[in-house]
Amino acid sequence: MAPVEEAAPEADLLVREALVGPGPAGVHRPRSRSRLVWAIAVGAAFVWALLAAGAGSRELVNPGGWPLLGRFAVAAVRPELGNDFLAIVWEATLTTLAYAVLGTAVSLVLGVIGGIVASRVWWHRRPRSGGWLAARGALGVPRAIHEAVWGLVLVNVLGLDPLVGVLAIGIPYGAVTAKVFSELLDEAPARGYEAMRAAGSGRLAAMAYGLGPEALPDMVSYAFYRFECSIRAATILGLVGAGGLGFQLSLSFQSLRYDEIWTLLYVLVVLGALTEVWSRAVRRRVGPAASVVGSGADLSRDRVLAGSVLGALALVALTASHLGVDPTTLWSGRSRGLAADFLGQALPPRVTGAALAELGRLTLETLQMAVLAIFLAGTAAASLALVGARRGAWGWAVRVLLLVCRAVPPPIWALLALFVFFAGPVPGALALAIYNFGILGRLMVEVVEGLDPRPVEGLRAQGASGPQAFLYGALPRALPRFAAYAVYRWEVTIRETVVVGLVGAGGLGRLLTDQLAAFDYPGVSLTLCALVVVTLAVDLAGAALRRVLR
Amino acid sequence: MTVAPSGEAPSRGSAVWLEGVGVRYGDAWALRDVDLEVGVGQRVALVGPSGAGKSTLLSLLNGTVLPTLGTVRVLGQDPTALAGRQQRRFQRRIGSIHQQLQLVGPLRVVHNVNAGRLGEWSLARAALSLVAPRDVGAARAALDRVGIPDKLYQRLDRLSGGEQQRVALARVLVQSPEIILGDEPIASLDPARGREMLDLLRGLAVESGTTLVVSLHAFELALSHFERVVGLRHGRVLFDCRPADVTPAAARGLYELH
Repeated sequence: MAPVEEAAPEADLLVREALVGPGPAGVHRPRSRSRLVWAIAVGAAFVWALLAAGAGSRELVNPGGWPLLGRFAVAAVRPELGNDFLAIVWEATLTTLAYAVLGTAVSLVLGVIGGIVASRVWWHRRPRSGGWLAARGALGVPRAIHEAVWGLVLVNVLGLDPLVGVLAIGIPYGAVTAKVFSELLDEAPARGYEAMRAAGSGRLAAMAYGLGPEALPDMVSYAFYRFECSIRAATILGLVGAGGLGFQLSLSFQSLRYDEIWTLLYVLVVLGALTEVWSRAVRRRVGPAASVVGSGADLSRDRVLAGSVLGALALVALTASHLGVDPTTLWSGRSRGLAADFLGQALPPRVTGAALAELGRLTLETLQMAVLAIFLAGTAAASLALVGARRGAWGWAVRVLLLVCRAVPPPIWALLALFVFFAGPVPGALALAIYNFGILGRLMVEVVEGLDPRPVEGLRAQGASGPQAFLYGALPRALPRFAAYAVYRWEVTIRETVVVGLVGAGGLGRLLTDQLAAFDYPGVSLTLCALVVVTLAVDLAGAALRRVLR
Repeated sequence: MTVAPSGEAPSRGSAVWLEGVGVRYGDAWALRDVDLEVGVGQRVALVGPSGAGKSTLLSLLNGTVLPTLGTVRVLGQDPTALAGRQQRRFQRRIGSIHQQLQLVGPLRVVHNVNAGRLGEWSLARAALSLVAPRDVGAARAALDRVGIPDKLYQRLDRLSGGEQQRVALARVLVQSPEIILGDEPIASLDPARGREMLDLLRGLAVESGTTLVVSLHAFELALSHFERVVGLRHGRVLFDCRPADVTPAAARGLYELH
């Protein structure tokens, strides 16, 4: 008997990340008082972020920037389409795609291994298994560090090698994937597994036969979602020097070639749209959405699915040869030497009072940027979600706007914001707000589309008007999910504040860039420690907040 | 055995009047050649196997499904001919109770009950009521009548299945419709609570003279709680009579396979 459970088709695997916390859903029943306390805390955090960002007090806007922004806007209608440049763009697109594809492939390999080791099943479902806790904890650290930071660090170990881009995506994504895969394995119906174990089968074999097939559709679905994210990550890696579309964008920004910037932005949007269409087509056929859509196809029979899996494998082979990846670089003498050098210099971190004070200040700034960004993005997205879920021209226009906002990565938005804002947390927060508006908007549209229509239909049938039925039938059910997504994105955004910092928009990212440029490795390791601590703390706060929302 | 309308215009005393009605979804007929007249204040049970057309018949009556063939008159009006304001006014006069699926989980009970008034409320009043509940007295009285007066400010999804079903009934009470339609209203309740629910529903209908059309899987309860039983199978009316006149053979014919 569950009249209030409903599936938001597309978003379900994100729900897994956003809504799953410790303990089975629905056991914990928070009282309304704790909700009130949290609501006040969240409101206070927003006001604090707004005040600290210098609303009204400092000089924020650079009036000299408006003509620049105007010239940039005008260039939208005449992007650079010369043959030479298009050749460069084509090459760059392949490179970005290659990083995304290979990064996803690495993350899947790591995710399957890590997912098995971090699952409760592997540790015999003992309630407080030390091994399980250790495995789970070990996944937390790589996850806390953004792909771009991984890239900056790995360059010091592997030199300018294409493997840097691949691993910079593969390692943190591998950790996230491992976490999700382990949960999928633990939630899969385990009767077959138990029976095989009772019959004397080994753990791995029993998992492969008993749990794997149950969890596989969700795993495939999640893999394609990760691929979507990888495209964005690969662009950002380009901005910090790994080549590809991001690198070309940074060059064009430096030389203020607006026409080139627009060409590259258009390519980014098209690439983003194509990946999403592909990923959606696959995810509609597997995973939690499949039963809703009603096709329920299995992997071997469905033509789109089979083609997608084969196509993905072909892409891995093609892009590996395009980049010229050589895995032996990983254990070459040179890499080992560089790694030893780097670690020798970076450890131990240099801890001084002044450094800690500076870190504390910048950590607060990072938190403020994230709070401000999510508040702006969440409010805007929630108010447009209803329109975006409609058929017709308006719905379409909103969905395209959302797509553009999320296809362009936050550092690019930050570079644009820096035209008219002085460097600091405000342009950073604005950039993250625009990007998260695109992501949150999509998730919220899917929530509205996935709502059980019966309560609204019931209200309509007894004479309620459209807006009334939305107010009583849809909004109360969508709001907790909207809020849960906002909190989830807040956690993710803490990581992403680093990348807007990399282009000079303030926070810990800016400090990290300065330290790397000055080869201050002991400082770098201290900053990385601070990043990990902040991210894990925010994850815990977010998990508590989401439990209250459930 | 079949009590068919006589072919002329519906009499003044009829709440529902169907003649030669058929409903087709794609290639399949969900209902065929259905003639049915329900008098004002009558309590009718619809019985039959899954897929017999019970839900389609109920949807015809509240205007959410349109007939492919035939004539439908509900409260003297043709639901297919109404639109906009007129349609809302018509729908206000018809209440529905389903399995709890029509209720809103995260909303407090008082709002779920007040949702029955949305047809008469303005949008502004509806929005305001979500912040400062309106007509609390009437909502409390309705909950009192269904036996859960203390649940007014609880969140709906904190209630048990039986209590949620009572909230659905309270919602219909504040709507005070002329016809109450029920689509398997007790399907998710255990037999004892299902019987209790029907007792309550029958009592309220008798008290206010409301017409009742309810589909049921529980055949025994259809016989014990209603004054007329309509058996549907494959979209056709198999029998339509008083409970006392339902023969064991008719009952078997309704549910047997093939």
